[in-house]
Amino acid sequence: MATMRRDFLKLGALGAASAGLVAGAQVLSAKQAAAQSAPDSLLRTVIDRGKVLVGTGSTNAPWHFEDEAGKLVGMDVTMGHILAKALFDDENAVEFVLQDPAQRIPNVNTGKVDIVVQFMTMSGQRAQLVNFSRPYYVEGVALISTPGTENNDFDKLKAAGSGARIAILQNVDAEGTVHEVLPEATVMQLDTQANVLQAVDAKRADAAVVDLSTVRWLVKRNPDRYFDSGKSWHSQLYGAAMKQGDLDWLHFVNTAFTIAMFGHETALYDAAFEEYFGEKPPERVPGFPKI
Amino acid sequence: MLDAMIYALPFLMEGLWITVLVSLLTVSISLVAGLVLGCALIYGPLPLRLFTRLFSDTIRGIPILVLIFFVYYGFPAIGVDFDSFWAAVTALTLFKTAQVIEYVRGAVESIPRGQSEAGMAIGLTFSERLTSVIFPQALRRFLPPWINGVTDAVKGSALVSLLGVTDLMHAINQVIGRTYEAMPLYVLGAFIYFVINFSLSTLSRRLERRLSHVQA
Repeated sequence: MATMRRDFLKLGALGAASAGLVAGAQVLSAKQAAAQSAPDSLLRTVIDRGKVLVGTGSTNAPWHFEDEAGKLVGMDVTMGHILAKALFDDENAVEFVLQDPAQRIPNVNTGKVDIVVQFMTMSGQRAQLVNFSRPYYVEGVALISTPGTENNDFDKLKAAGSGARIAILQNVDAEGTVHEVLPEATVMQLDTQANVLQAVDAKRADAAVVDLSTVRWLVKRNPDRYFDSGKSWHSQLYGAAMKQGDLDWLHFVNTAFTIAMFGHETALYDAAFEEYFGEKPPERVPGFPKI
Repeated sequence: MLDAMIYALPFLMEGLWITVLVSLLTVSISLVAGLVLGCALIYGPLPLRLFTRLFSDTIRGIPILVLIFFVYYGFPAIGVDFDSFWAAVTALTLFKTAQVIEYVRGAVESIPRGQSEAGMAIGLTFSERLTSVIFPQALRRFLPPWINGVTDAVKGSALVSLLGVTDLMHAINQVIGRTYEAMPLYVLGAFIYFVINFSLSTLSRRLERRLSHVQA
C-alpha cells in the first residue's frame, strides 16, 4: 500500500514537473506568451510580425533626428529600441515610421503604426483620443543665453527688470509664460524656434525661452556658444501614445518602459539620457519602489 | 553661412531625388490621364462627360493638403492601403490630372469651330480632323499653362513631407533639426528649387518657340 502511495506521489511529482516545464516553455517562448494575451490584442500581432512599428519624426534633436551618419537617433528613438528589446530581446527589431507631428494621433488610431513615441505632451484632451504610456520624460521650458551676453543667468535677468529682453516662440501664452518667472521682462515673440535662437545668437535678446531638453542639448553640444541660464519651469509629461481599447498592449509597454527606467535593464535609457540631456539619471536604490 | 550650406549638401541628395521622382511620376501620370479624360470631357458620351466634369470640379475644389490626408487615411476604408510615398503621389496626381483636364478642354475649345468644319468640308474623318487639324493647333495653347503646372508640381511636391516622406524639404528640416541653423538651409533649399524650376521654364520657352516656328 505504502509502495503504491509512493508511486502515486512519484507520478504526481512527475506530473507537476511536466506541468512546470510546459508552463516554463510557454513563458520562455515569445510567440506562446503572446497567445496568452487577448486574441485581438496588438501585442499578439506585433510578436507574430517580428518587429514593432513605431511612429516618430526625424527633425527635432534631441528627440528624433538623423545623426551625421544618417542614422535615426534621439530619446524617442531609444524608447522604440527599448520596446523592441522587451518584445524580441533584440533592440533593432523595430521599424520607425517617419511622420509629421500632426499625424501622431491619426496614425496610431488608423493602425498605421503600433505606437507613437514623438515628444508627445500628455493632456486630458489627448487622453480622450489615445492611451498614454507612463511618462518617460518630464519636459519644461527653460532660459538659454550665450556665454558672452552680459545678463545671461537668471538672477541677472531678474535684476535687469524691464531691461531684460526675452525671445520666445509665438503662442497665446507666450507673454504669460515669460512673466511667470520674469515679471518685468520685455518679451519678443518670434515665428520659429530657429529664429528665437537666432535672436540670442545675434544679441537681439538677452535670453530665449525654449524647451528644457533643447537647452540641455544645445549647451552640451555647443558650450562655447550657448549658456544655460539656470531656470526651468512649466513641467509637462511626455508619454507614448497607443490606440485605445487594448489593455494588454498598454500594460506591456508600461512594463517595458518601467523596467528600462527603474528595473534591471536601464542601460539603454541611461546612455540615451546622458547622451541627449547631458546628465545621468538618479541612481536607483533597492528597497522602497520610488516609481 | 556658406560652410553650413556645404556641410548640408550631401544630406539633401536623397531628398532631392525623391522630389524629382515624385514630380516626374505626378507630371507623367497626370499628363496621360488628363489628356484621355480631357478628350472624354469634350467628345465623350454624356455619362462620361458628366463623370469627368464631376471628378474635375470635385478634385479642384478640395485643398491639396486635405486630398493628401484623405488618400492616406480615407482610402484604407475602401481596401486601398498605400504607403506614405504612394499615397502622396496618388493625391498629387489626382490634383494635377484635374488641372490637365481643364488645360486640354481650354486648348481644344479655343480652336474656332470653322477649323473643324473646314476639315469636314474636305472630307477628313473625325480622327483625321483631330490629329491633323485640331490637336496640332491646340498643342501650342496647351503647353504654356501645362509647363506652368509642372513647376507648380515640383513646388507642391514639398507637401509629401507632411506624410513623413523624406523629400528635399523634409531633408532640409532634418538638417535644421540637428544643427538648429535654419537660414543657410532655407536659402540653399530655395536655390535648388529655383534651379529646377528655372530650367523647366527655359525649356518650356524654347519648346514654345520651336512649335511657333513650325506653325508659322
